[in-house]
Amino acid sequence: MNTEWLPALILLVPLCGALLALANRRSAPYFSVLAAFITLLLAISAAWQVEAHGPLSGSDGLFYLDALGALYLLPVSFVYFTASLYAIGYLWARQQEQDKDAAEPRYRQYFPLMNVFALVILAVPLVANLALMWIAIELTTVFSAFLVAYEDRAEALEAAWKYVALTSMGAMIALLGVLMLYYGTHAAGQAPTWDGLMTAAPHMSAPLLLLAFVLWLIGFGAKTGLVPMHTWLPDAHSQAPASVCAVLSGVETSAALYMLLRIYPALVVNPGIHDPAAWYITAGLITVGSAAFMLIQVHDFKRMFAYSTIEHMGIILTACGIGAAVHEQGTIYQLFAHGFTKSFCFFAAGLAGIIFGTQEIVKVRGLISRSPAVGWALILGTLAIAGAPPFALFLSEFEILDTGYSSGQYLSTGLLTAFIVIAFIALTYQATRIAFGTPDPAQEHTSPAMKIPRSSLAAMVIAFVPVLIFGFYLPPPLVHLVHEAAQLLEVQG
Amino acid sequence: MITVSPIMLSIAGSVAALFVVFGLGVMVSRQMLASLRFFMGQSVALTLSALVLADALHTVNLLWVALITFVTKVIAVPLVLRWAAGEEIYGRREVDQALEIPASVLVAAVFALVGWFAVAPVLPTLHDVPFAAINLPTGLIMVLWGAFTVALRRESVAQMMGLLIMENGAFFGSIAIVHNLTVIAEIAAAVDVPIVALVIGLLIRSIRRVTGSTRVGTLDKLHEH
Amino acid sequence: MSALWTHLVLNLCQVGFILLFAPLVEGVLHRLEEIIQGKSGVSIWQTYRDIWKLFAKDEVVSEQSTWVFRFAPIVAFVMPLFVVLLIPALTAYPLFFAFMGDMVAVGFLMAISGFFVALGGMDTGNLYAAVGASRTHMVGFLAEPVFIMVFFSVSYVANSTIPYFVNATWGASWTSMLQPAHFMVILAFFLLILADEGRIPVDSPAGKVEIAMIGHSKGLEYSGTSAALMKWGGANKLMVLALVFVNVLVTPWGLAQSTQWTAVIAAVGLVLLKLLAFVIILALVETTLAKLRLFRISEFLAVAFIICLFAVSIRLTGIA
Repeated sequence: MNTEWLPALILLVPLCGALLALANRRSAPYFSVLAAFITLLLAISAAWQVEAHGPLSGSDGLFYLDALGALYLLPVSFVYFTASLYAIGYLWARQQEQDKDAAEPRYRQYFPLMNVFALVILAVPLVANLALMWIAIELTTVFSAFLVAYEDRAEALEAAWKYVALTSMGAMIALLGVLMLYYGTHAAGQAPTWDGLMTAAPHMSAPLLLLAFVLWLIGFGAKTGLVPMHTWLPDAHSQAPASVCAVLSGVETSAALYMLLRIYPALVVNPGIHDPAAWYITAGLITVGSAAFMLIQVHDFKRMFAYSTIEHMGIILTACGIGAAVHEQGTIYQLFAHGFTKSFCFFAAGLAGIIFGTQEIVKVRGLISRSPAVGWALILGTLAIAGAPPFALFLSEFEILDTGYSSGQYLSTGLLTAFIVIAFIALTYQATRIAFGTPDPAQEHTSPAMKIPRSSLAAMVIAFVPVLIFGFYLPPPLVHLVHEAAQLLEVQG
Repeated sequence: MITVSPIMLSIAGSVAALFVVFGLGVMVSRQMLASLRFFMGQSVALTLSALVLADALHTVNLLWVALITFVTKVIAVPLVLRWAAGEEIYGRREVDQALEIPASVLVAAVFALVGWFAVAPVLPTLHDVPFAAINLPTGLIMVLWGAFTVALRRESVAQMMGLLIMENGAFFGSIAIVHNLTVIAEIAAAVDVPIVALVIGLLIRSIRRVTGSTRVGTLDKLHEH
Repeated sequence: MSALWTHLVLNLCQVGFILLFAPLVEGVLHRLEEIIQGKSGVSIWQTYRDIWKLFAKDEVVSEQSTWVFRFAPIVAFVMPLFVVLLIPALTAYPLFFAFMGDMVAVGFLMAISGFFVALGGMDTGNLYAAVGASRTHMVGFLAEPVFIMVFFSVSYVANSTIPYFVNATWGASWTSMLQPAHFMVILAFFLLILADEGRIPVDSPAGKVEIAMIGHSKGLEYSGTSAALMKWGGANKLMVLALVFVNVLVTPWGLAQSTQWTAVIAAVGLVLLKLLAFVIILALVETTLAKLRLFRISEFLAVAFIICLFAVSIRLTGIA
């Protein structure tokens, strides 16, 4: 099989989906789901190819996909598919909730943008050139701005504005770093790709590389939600539709984190940079710590999952610094599993929001008795994201902490453990408050039981499959892929 | 190594001075329209710098950068912004600020110092790259100022101005060191700026439609209680 | 005639040059602004007529006032003439009095004139004059650091604060002209002229409302000869500042290089052309800007200050 055009095809399908959705309003959702499903299949086959034959490249070096990219591509395409399916019923239910007389769903703005949004996220692991990667990340903000502001209220616009202002600001800072790396790779006679960067890194001037990295850490950090550039994240997640939150939290924030992870080995091999891990551990621990304490006093359950995303971004960054990248179920697996788990959490939270008509934790009781399916989904999702066994994140977090303790980094690993435990307690406490207990009879009276949209329920069930399975069993090809990806981040300092 | 005549270096330095002064104008001007004009002036300075460097370094690519910059930033972006902000860009006298201007000007001076010290260790390694010593610190300073402008202003159009001068700064810094951006990246970057401007412009229009003003300082509903 | 005498005569010629053309410069400025504003405007010779008319009129002096009131117009008239002895108005080489004082002395002389005008305004007990004096000094205090920074950066570049040497340093070659620090100093100095001369956006010279005036309300009590001297002195001051700006900072060319009379007369023409260019720019700036509110003036001067600061730090760090 000729794999040359596979990366191009993966990007072409969502584009066709967007154009079809734009052309035909009535069947826009179905075109989108179909495009997303084809993309998922293509992504799986691309990952398969990478696993079997090594990195894919195509179109004269425009595209390049290695094991790490493939491992990121999989959750992206999966969440793209489930979120598209979920959105059909969810958006309609939300619209009916706000406007009882709504005649037909207002999909026109949503689905074309959703497809383009997915397209640019998919482009991040696929394109070879650093500048194009930057452009893709910049465009993720641009195309998702109106998805965040989809409900068109003042609060939603406020959230969208904060999101755009802060993350574009980050992107501009990162741009200067990207262009510096461009110079660095060019001066060493290499192409501006990840491979070129790794080859050039030992010969690059250390201050240049370090400055470029710091610009990236601030710039992409804003996109990832590193504290203190995280303020947009809870706001955007509380206002955006749950299907958008799933993509934003599950995979979009990790696009910038993916960049930060991939530059790490280049820093390590440069002899002039002392202790690059300290940057990662410091930035990561500040983020995890702040997020853990914010989780205790959070009032809105969509914001709660947003803070949990911040926490996970911090964990992944810290883990990279601690050295868990090299362990097969460490950093990369955490990144991989977080995408699946967090999107599932937002699906459950979105449906809970529809059932209760509010997102405030204090006003919400007895979700399980109102809807057992959504209630248990919320509980299981919270447990999974908090890192309880038997879910995938338990394995990776355990691995990360184990690496930290066995390599003698007691202070940083100890702090990380404490923060993870605090976050775990906070998350499970809040989730049990929502799920158990008796529903407020007054509230049941005022908000008549909303019918749970079938497509959303189906999407939630599909999303639960990998969350459950990856905790017990990872298919051998995937194990191999994770191993390969870990090799890419493993370097001798 | 390319040798560059001292006169070219002085011209490039003067253009950099112009660039900084226009950036300062964007940051401190009280009126939206004045701020927009300063931004256009700054983009012209960026174009000039690209032309000067193209001539001094004999790089055809920089001519493209100059052309793209001029078309997108001096012509397209102002049109989009005027359309986005509507009559409010002419009507409102003063833009809200989070900090008084004299104080923010001093902060800007500190930022300039920070930018300079951040680049200072890099410059010796770039001694064989002409113009890097002028353009790189200037560019980084403008990136910092842009970020500061976004933080400082309580007004969507003015915040967007901050984002745009950050982008100008990134390009100003990089034209001295990178002349070999692949054509595709250049085209993509050229498309990127108008798209960003367009989408942010649309968002500003939505904010104006829903809240009745382009002010974003009044949007402060979302926070932890 | 010995060189010394020639220099002395040329120096006095510079004074004559100012006295003769200062009202013209002001007249052209007014006319241009009115043309830009779409009015037909008064003749460019109007300032001469005003001065002539005022000299012919009787003078009324308040009984409550002291000698300061009568002395102030003379100081305001004479100080710009002292300044012109120190600066390259027509010749590129130093003249007889060139080493009597440097740019700091120029600043001092201007400050003395400002000081006496403010005292003279307050002397009669006129309320508006007192308000104007205090506002002028507020602007003055804010402008002071900028003045000092301009001197620093100029002296740092030229290794001298004697205007003739500064002029020679910039004019030496294109490389020395086209320096970032030079640009910034020019810009800051231009903003200073706007503030010091009470032009828009700091003050509106054409304003007729006393309560909104900054500098112009100080001269309201003068009449007859004193008013003529104040008006002429004001025109002189504007022209002297413009000369410092164009001859020392912006375009250090076109001045007489020899003591030949033809060279000097050619310089008169060229300097007037440069002043015309300056006046056009000033008119454009004034008509396109709006007057700032009083408390925004500090912002205006803060920007001028920071530009100067950059000019100095660019030189110090050796970036360019």
